[in-house]
Amino acid sequence: MLPMKIQDELRTLVGEDGFFTEPEDLASYSYDGFVREFMPDAVILPRSTQDVSRIIKVADREGIKIVARGAGTNLSGNSVARQGGMIMSFTRMNRIVEIDIANRCAVVQPGVVNADLQKQVMKKGFFYPPDPASMAVCTLGGNVALNAGGPRAVKYGVTRDYVLGLEVVLADGEIIRTGGKTIKNVSGYDLTRLMVGSEGTLGIVTEITLRLIPLPKARKTLLAVFSSVEEVAETVSAIVGAGIVPTTLELLDKVIIDLIRDVGGASFPPNAAGVLLIEVDGDEDAVEKESRKVADFCRDRGAVQVDVAKTQEEADRLWQARRSVGGALYKVSPSVVVEDAVVPVSKLPKIIHTIGVLSRKYNLKVGVNAHAGDGNLHPDIMTDVRNREEMERVEKFIREMYEEVIALGGTLSGEHGIGIGKEKYMSLEFSRRSLDLMRGIKRVFDPKNILNPGSFL
Amino acid sequence: MGDHDFEGFDRCAKCGICLAQCPVYKESLLEKASPRGKIQLAKFYREGRGTLSEGYRGIYGQCLLCGACATVCPTGMKAHEIVLKMREEIVGVRGLDDRGSRLVTSILRSHNISQEDNQERGEWREELKTLPGHRYEKDRAEVAYFVGCVASFFPMVQKIPRNMSRILDQAGVDFALLGGLEWCCGFPLLAAGAPEKVPEMSRHNLEVVRRLGAEKVLFSCPSCYRTWKERYDTPIVLQHTADYIHELIQNERLRLKPLAPLRVAYHDSCDLGRQGGVYDTPRKIIQSIPGVTLVELEHNRAGSLCCGGGGNLETTAPELAGKLAKAKIEEIQQSGADLVVTACQQCVRTIASSARRQRLDLKVMDISELVCMAMGPD
Repeated sequence: MLPMKIQDELRTLVGEDGFFTEPEDLASYSYDGFVREFMPDAVILPRSTQDVSRIIKVADREGIKIVARGAGTNLSGNSVARQGGMIMSFTRMNRIVEIDIANRCAVVQPGVVNADLQKQVMKKGFFYPPDPASMAVCTLGGNVALNAGGPRAVKYGVTRDYVLGLEVVLADGEIIRTGGKTIKNVSGYDLTRLMVGSEGTLGIVTEITLRLIPLPKARKTLLAVFSSVEEVAETVSAIVGAGIVPTTLELLDKVIIDLIRDVGGASFPPNAAGVLLIEVDGDEDAVEKESRKVADFCRDRGAVQVDVAKTQEEADRLWQARRSVGGALYKVSPSVVVEDAVVPVSKLPKIIHTIGVLSRKYNLKVGVNAHAGDGNLHPDIMTDVRNREEMERVEKFIREMYEEVIALGGTLSGEHGIGIGKEKYMSLEFSRRSLDLMRGIKRVFDPKNILNPGSFL
Repeated sequence: MGDHDFEGFDRCAKCGICLAQCPVYKESLLEKASPRGKIQLAKFYREGRGTLSEGYRGIYGQCLLCGACATVCPTGMKAHEIVLKMREEIVGVRGLDDRGSRLVTSILRSHNISQEDNQERGEWREELKTLPGHRYEKDRAEVAYFVGCVASFFPMVQKIPRNMSRILDQAGVDFALLGGLEWCCGFPLLAAGAPEKVPEMSRHNLEVVRRLGAEKVLFSCPSCYRTWKERYDTPIVLQHTADYIHELIQNERLRLKPLAPLRVAYHDSCDLGRQGGVYDTPRKIIQSIPGVTLVELEHNRAGSLCCGGGGNLETTAPELAGKLAKAKIEEIQQSGADLVVTACQQCVRTIASSARRQRLDLKVMDISELVCMAMGPD
């Protein structure tokens, strides 16, 4: 618990309705989308950069730990107070400051919901591509902190590729600006890109300048069903090799297909062992041509079924298979541990095979859905977190899977972040020297270790 | 926690997708106001990690029971049902608060939500142009029309039963009102966290309908309709008036005349749409009137935004309810419709009251009023 005098000081800064210490308030900020939960000592909701700066000056003076939080949808435990302290919730700093058409960018506060920005820029004929699954609710501040991706990353990249500039409050309360509204900027170290994906450990982002691109005029969705996962991988390679870059290339493996078929959601032929959900976008002519070509690639490589959506309703129906995955998983298991690994695209069949082998070895039910175009896969481990013995097997499964992922030239996380979920695997991917460099950077930015302490470093 | 099965809590993946749907959360932007927050706090309590403070009463009081969150939950959680269970639990542990106590006492004593003499339920009839000698209170009838407290006692929406009487007469339906024998359906008791009092209401209402020999009970109030469907154990056919009017039109028992060109938006009420599954028939009725064009609101059908009148929020958090009504009205205005139609007296009342407070010229009516307009002058 924070001393009463400090509570009063913080309450004075943000007002009665912006500072909370009642047990039920604390409990409601003790969790996010990850499994583990920690009770904070206080919750504070700033309304401006100045608020944030003043709060952090108090935190710096008193040594109070600060964990920034957007909508709390992350899957890596990055918005819970692992070492206690204060949750700083940004949901009320949710103003779109400007949409600057001349410079093709948007300036937003960190609490703006991703989908709200998408909607506003679309009205002006522009496009902000990063589309995490939680985009209807997750905040852009959270997206920046975790460098969020999404299905469209295969063509359009991830959050980092759109952040032009930031306003950041440092760990002593000083406010700095990085980058600006220009696409080109090679002056000095790239602090903007360093902040993106730093998981709230280096500074608190209070304003974001995001690059926008023209809205594609047309879009087409296809769904192809294959009888082997190798055929799926060959098709993906063929599409990429032909110079076509689809907007999305989503893969569902046999475990997921069978699950969706069993619990309802979509129907597939009995021999389906892999499904690709493909979307292409661009000018109308190009989309027409590319979708035909993609359909041919699929058929030539053994697809047993190829559906091309003619209308938006048909496209929605095809997406239904992908959308029903989450619900289907929870229908058959009390808990689902969603992992997030990346391998080079050509290694996808290998890692899916390994996951099958490991799931049999540890007697676990594991399905895979993947953003196949960029090699980012989400193994879904169907389990029960209350079952301690099974959770031990889950742990072993995950470690061995990541050993293989790293051996194949991949990485521990594509878009969920490391947080408190995967910090124990960091030494698989990074040498001691690399980790020391990261810790050194952390010390420069946050010498008292008050920003999201206990996260991945 | 009583006899309720709370195992379902573990099904909440804490993903937070529900936050995007919750009108209450979107106003306060505090996690405890969200469906996920309400589920997690209930779980905390069940696991013995929290005591039921007055803070809990405030949190669970702030829910419209609109069910919008449940339409997007990947794991099928129904936060609004957990809210009802928690309200019951809070009342069990801490008792009713003053407001709840007044409401429950009033319903048990006068059998309606208005603290009026229940014999005055049928007063709205006095303004009917033609009122038959039996005043629609009969010994036997094929159809019973359960008017509900709000449409019986609130002058602003008393034209709903008047219009319904005209429609049913025109179609030659043998129907009766329950008059002073109609008791509150029990929904406000459920919402207040006092479900144990509901059987007293349901037993009485079912007995009155049974004595009438009715094969069907009609409801223009979606909440009464829902409560009967969920809590009244009866083989009698229960139907909302939107479905029934649509049947009458299809069977050509009701003929509608053209109206001057009119753009009509339809607002889906929470209890009729998401809870009752009735989306199509009100739209079909609107579209069956020559000259009338149906306009969809941005959020429609299962995605409809609550008008702010749900879940007793008007009494527990009037300022919040007012903001939600305002948001609804903005959406209606953006649709470019000349008029908004709904099939719920509570929505009519909430939207009309808010428009009046804002001095806006917004036309809102129940589906029965639009149908009467298309029947021609009375």
